[in-house]
Parts: sequence; structure tokens; C-alpha cells
Amino acid sequence: MIKVKGLYHSYSNDDKYAVKDANFEIKKGEVFGFLGPSGAGKSTTQGVLTGLLPIQKGEVTIAGYDIRNPKKEMFNLIGVSFEQSNVYDKLTAYENLNFYRKLFDVKTRKPKELLELVGLDHVANKKAGEFSKGMKHRLTFIRSMINNPIIWFLDEPTTGLDPAIASEIKEIIKKEKEKGVTIFLTTHNMYVADELCDRIAFIIDGEIKLIDSPRNLKLKYGKKLVEVEHFENDILKKESLSLIEPKDKARLNDIITAGNIEIMHTKEATLEEIFIKVTGKELK
Amino acid sequence: MKRILAIVGRDITSGKRDFIYAYIMIVPFVMALVLKAIIPGVDSTTINIAVLDTLEPQLIEYLDEFAKVKEFETVQDIRVRVSKTDDYLGLVKKDDKYNIISQNNESEGSYDFLELIVNSYQKDLYIFPIDIEITDSGWKLHPLKQQGANFLIIFTTVFGGMLILLSLVEEKMSNTLSAINVSPASKFEFIIGKSILGLTIPIVGIFGILLIIGFEGINYLMVLVVSISLSFISMIIGFVIGIMNDEPISAIASMKMIFIPVMGSVFGAMYLSEKLMPFLYWSPFYWAYEAMNSIILNEATWPMIFKNCSIIIFITVLVFILLKNRIKRGLN
Ligand SMILES: Nc1ncnc2c1ncn2[C@@H]1O[C@H](COP(=O)(O)OP(=O)(O)OP(=O)(O)O)[C@@H](O)[C@H]1O
Ligand SMILES: [Mg+2]
Repeated sequence: MIKVKGLYHSYSNDDKYAVKDANFEIKKGEVFGFLGPSGAGKSTTQGVLTGLLPIQKGEVTIAGYDIRNPKKEMFNLIGVSFEQSNVYDKLTAYENLNFYRKLFDVKTRKPKELLELVGLDHVANKKAGEFSKGMKHRLTFIRSMINNPIIWFLDEPTTGLDPAIASEIKEIIKKEKEKGVTIFLTTHNMYVADELCDRIAFIIDGEIKLIDSPRNLKLKYGKKLVEVEHFENDILKKESLSLIEPKDKARLNDIITAGNIEIMHTKEATLEEIFIKVTGKELK
Repeated sequence: MKRILAIVGRDITSGKRDFIYAYIMIVPFVMALVLKAIIPGVDSTTINIAVLDTLEPQLIEYLDEFAKVKEFETVQDIRVRVSKTDDYLGLVKKDDKYNIISQNNESEGSYDFLELIVNSYQKDLYIFPIDIEITDSGWKLHPLKQQGANFLIIFTTVFGGMLILLSLVEEKMSNTLSAINVSPASKFEFIIGKSILGLTIPIVGIFGILLIIGFEGINYLMVLVVSISLSFISMIIGFVIGIMNDEPISAIASMKMIFIPVMGSVFGAMYLSEKLMPFLYWSPFYWAYEAMNSIILNEATWPMIFKNCSIIIFITVLVFILLKNRIKRGLN
């Protein structure tokens, strides 16, 4: 459904790329996660994929449509939720959805039904300008599904929401996935990526470092992780070390030789730890 | 079409909740009322004449055929009456000579006309057509009425541009523009949708102004044609400024800047000598002023209206072509 080949993007139109040589394909019904820290280029990638940012170099097709000349038909098929909520402050929640709905040529969902989905039905007639951040975010989120998109772009769908609402949103995403919707999702939260995605791309400084399923990643990197607590110069230190990476193996050797180990056990790595292992950077 | 209507509908809903919109829509009418109040009543088809009740009855009778005559007891009373803002002239006889008391705010026409009546009476020129009707035609309008109305009309147009501008800035500020850009709505539909209010509100305003101030016998079809092309100017203003500014403060600053060429070309058209007019040809406001002026004076001809409107539309299209890329980028 989504094909990306050799995609570069620079905001300054020079060689300071926010996205460098991105290559990936997303199959129908797949949930594809872009996991990376702030400033990695996740939103930039989504921007180019949805036609909001001009495509400078590379090829992108969305449902068979070349994003270089996006067609009306294509926009009828996709839904886009934004990282920063963007709704009309002077319009009520209901009016916001009702207006947006009229822009489509395909069958759309009833605003009321969508508002109920995220618990905004009781404030349907309140102006969005009087909404809290989380409420606006939910409104932006449901707006993106009003045209029953078959390709759904979600930029940080759960960021900044309280855990209860975040899990509601995740349930909605799972339901859409069951319906066969293809989903491109960006996040810097590895739990979200782990829970929702069929495949994950690790992105850092605009570069995709690796693409795999959460399961494969854990199998590859996870099982062979050792957690050690040991004293070094009288300070208690806690480290997670891989049994595959030569650097980590050498380090573990040193610790064992020093012999100040308090606790040592193997454990399953979280995606976050794998991310740090693979990219050398933290997910923050 | 459906999408264009949706965009217009949204602007209306949003505008109803914003006092600036109400303000922009009401101001032209209020100004027209103010203008009407300070313009001496030139549009009354008869002239008002204040005379002493001692004036010879034949003259009063004679005057009565062309004008409304009111009798007063003292010259002082007449002076008081004349000094009011409306169009009232006084006529007193002093040693066999008639003096006209005027306040200098009456239209020149009234004065001349009264002089003419009195002269014809004195010379026993009773051949004067009895059923003469004095209408605006053939009379130079009171300058306050002619230029004031014209000026208001141009400003109403600028206000229309402001509506487009505000609505564009709102979309940019809230980034709702991005949501529209990932919907099937095209740039073209967006531009048309955003323009419709800015195009129609000035037209309503222009008709309102003309009706409030009161211009009888002008060609309203011509007014409509000129209004439509005038509102194209508001499109230029709205889009050009809207595209170049991301937030209201700078947009309003640019809006103030736009008043300079507007004032410049309108005042230029009013006061510059014919020789200097070509310096204003670049300005759509000049052509609009000229067309509206001739309509108000009942001097307009269709070829002239079409010429001026074509020039206005040509300038609009030219600006849009020159700024096409900028507009496209600005709407991303
Ligand atoms: N409008 C812009 N103009 C210039 N540079 C930008 C713009 N938007 C983003 N960038 C830069 O591009 C890079 C990638 O930003 P992007 O927003 O894609 O990151 P992200 O992965 O979505 O981060 P976050 O998790 O904070 O949303 C960053 O270095 C950022 O500073
Ligand atoms: Mg982002």
C-alpha cells in the first residue's frame, strides 16, 4: 500500500537532511511503526508521505498514487492525524467534524458516533477552543478516521494523553487494524510500538537503522541480555549487557574479573533497550 | 462545489462568533449613515427657501412652484434656519434688491437655481417651465456626497479583503490548513471558498451605502458589475497579505500598509490634474474609483464600465499569476 524508495528531505533545500535515504514498503493491513527520539525525522517522513511536504528526492506511492501529483481520489482513501492538534477553535467539536466530513466524496462516519468513541460526546457542542490539550488531540484523532480511510497516518497518536485515554486510543487503532486498515504510525514510545506494530523502523537523525517485527527484534537481541549490579570504586552500578555484541562481552568479562558483582541475571530486553543497543541513542 | 460551499459555510459559522467580522460588516453602513447625516439634503428634488412673511405674495407664489417656501417673521429667524446643516436658502428683499442668504454648505446648484428663479421673476420671464424637476442628473453632486460615497465604497472593498485575510490567517495559525491539504479539497476550491465571503460582503455593502446615502436614477446594473470587479481587488488584498503573514499582528500591519496605495490612488483620482492620471493607471483602485464616480454622476456608459472592469480584472489576474508559486507555497 505504501512504497518509499530513496526518500530524502531537507527543510533548507541543501544537504542538511531531516530524512536520509529512507526505503520501506508497507503491506495492506500492516501496522508499521516509526520509532525514534525527538527530532529523528518521523513527522517529516509522514509529512512527505501525505503530500504536505514537497517531495524533493526519491519515490513515494500511496495506494498506487504517485505522491508527486497527489489526486483527489487518493485523499479520499487516506486519513491523517497530526502530532499537534489542529482544529478550528471557534467551531464546536461537532461542527469541526461535520465540516471536515463534507470535504470527502466517499461515505463518511457520523460525527456523533466518532465523538462517542473517544468520550467526547458530552462536549460535542462545546467550542474546541475551550478544550484541553488531550481533548483537542482526541478530536484531531477521530477527524482522521471520518472518511473510513484504508491508509491511516498517525503521528504520535497517544503522546500527551493520560494512560486511560491512551489505551482507549490503542484499542481503536487495533480495531481498525482488524478491519484491514493499513497504518503508518510514529511514536517515541516503545510500548506503543511494541503493542500495536507488526513491524518497526528504528529511525535516528533521519536514517532508518533497522526494520523488523518486535518479536524478531526481541528474539535477536532480547534473550541474550544480562543485567548486572556491581560495585565499581565503591559505587553501585547497574548495566544491561548483550551477550552478542563484542563490546558488551568484553565489558562483562571485565566486570566478572573484577569480582564485585551484587546481582546478575538474564532478562528479556525491552524494545527501548534494543533501540539503545542498535542505535547507541536513547529514545527520548 | 460541495466542498466550496462547506468552506464558505464554515467561514460563516466561524465569522458569526467573531466580533471583528460583525464590525467589518456593519462599519460601512454606519459610516454611510453618518455621511448621510452630514451631507446637506441635496437629494430633495425641491429647494427649500426661507422668506420673510412680508415678501410680496406673487413672488412667494412663484417660488412655490419650484421650491418649498417657508415664511419667517424676522431675518434673524431666516438666518437661524439657513444655518442648519441641510440645504436651506434664505431670500430677503432689501431696497428692491433680492439677497440670497446661504451658508455655503448648500449645493452650488441650489444657489444658482434660486438666482435663476428670482431673475426670471424680476424679468417677468414667466416662460419658465412650470413642471421642472430638479434631480441629481445634470447637477454636480455635493462633493461630500460624491466623493464621500465613493471613498466609502472603496473602503468597503478593502474590508472585504480583510475578511479573506483574517480567515486565511486563522487557517494558518491553527494549522487547519494542513488538515484541508490532506483532504480531497483542491487548492482551487479552497481559494474560491475562502474568497466568496470577501467577494459578496463588499457587494452588499456597496449597495447598502448607495441606498442609504441615496442616489436616485443611477444605473444599478452598472453598480453591480463594478462591485463585482471591485471585490476582485479584495481578493488580491486578502490573498497576498494572507499568504505572506502567518499571524494576525503582522497581517494587520501589512493591512495598514495597503491603505497607503488605496488612499493614494483614490485621493489622486480626486485631486490630481488630468496630466498626472497615468501615474495611477497601475492601481485597480483608481479604475474602480473612476468607474464608480461616473456611475454616481450618471455619466457612465457601458463601454467605459467594461473598460474599467476589464482593467481591474486584468490587474487581479496578473497579480495572481505573478504570485502563483508564492500562493501555492503559502498554502502548504
Ligand atoms: N518546519 C521545519 N523547518 C525546519 N526544520 C524542521 C522543521 N520541522 C522539523 N525540522 C527539523 O527536522 C528534523 C526532524 O524533525 P521531525 O519533526 O521530523 O522529528 P520527529 O521525529 O517527528 O520528532 P518528535 O518526536 O519531536 O515529533 C529536526 O531536526 C527538526 O529540527
Ligand atoms: Mg514528530
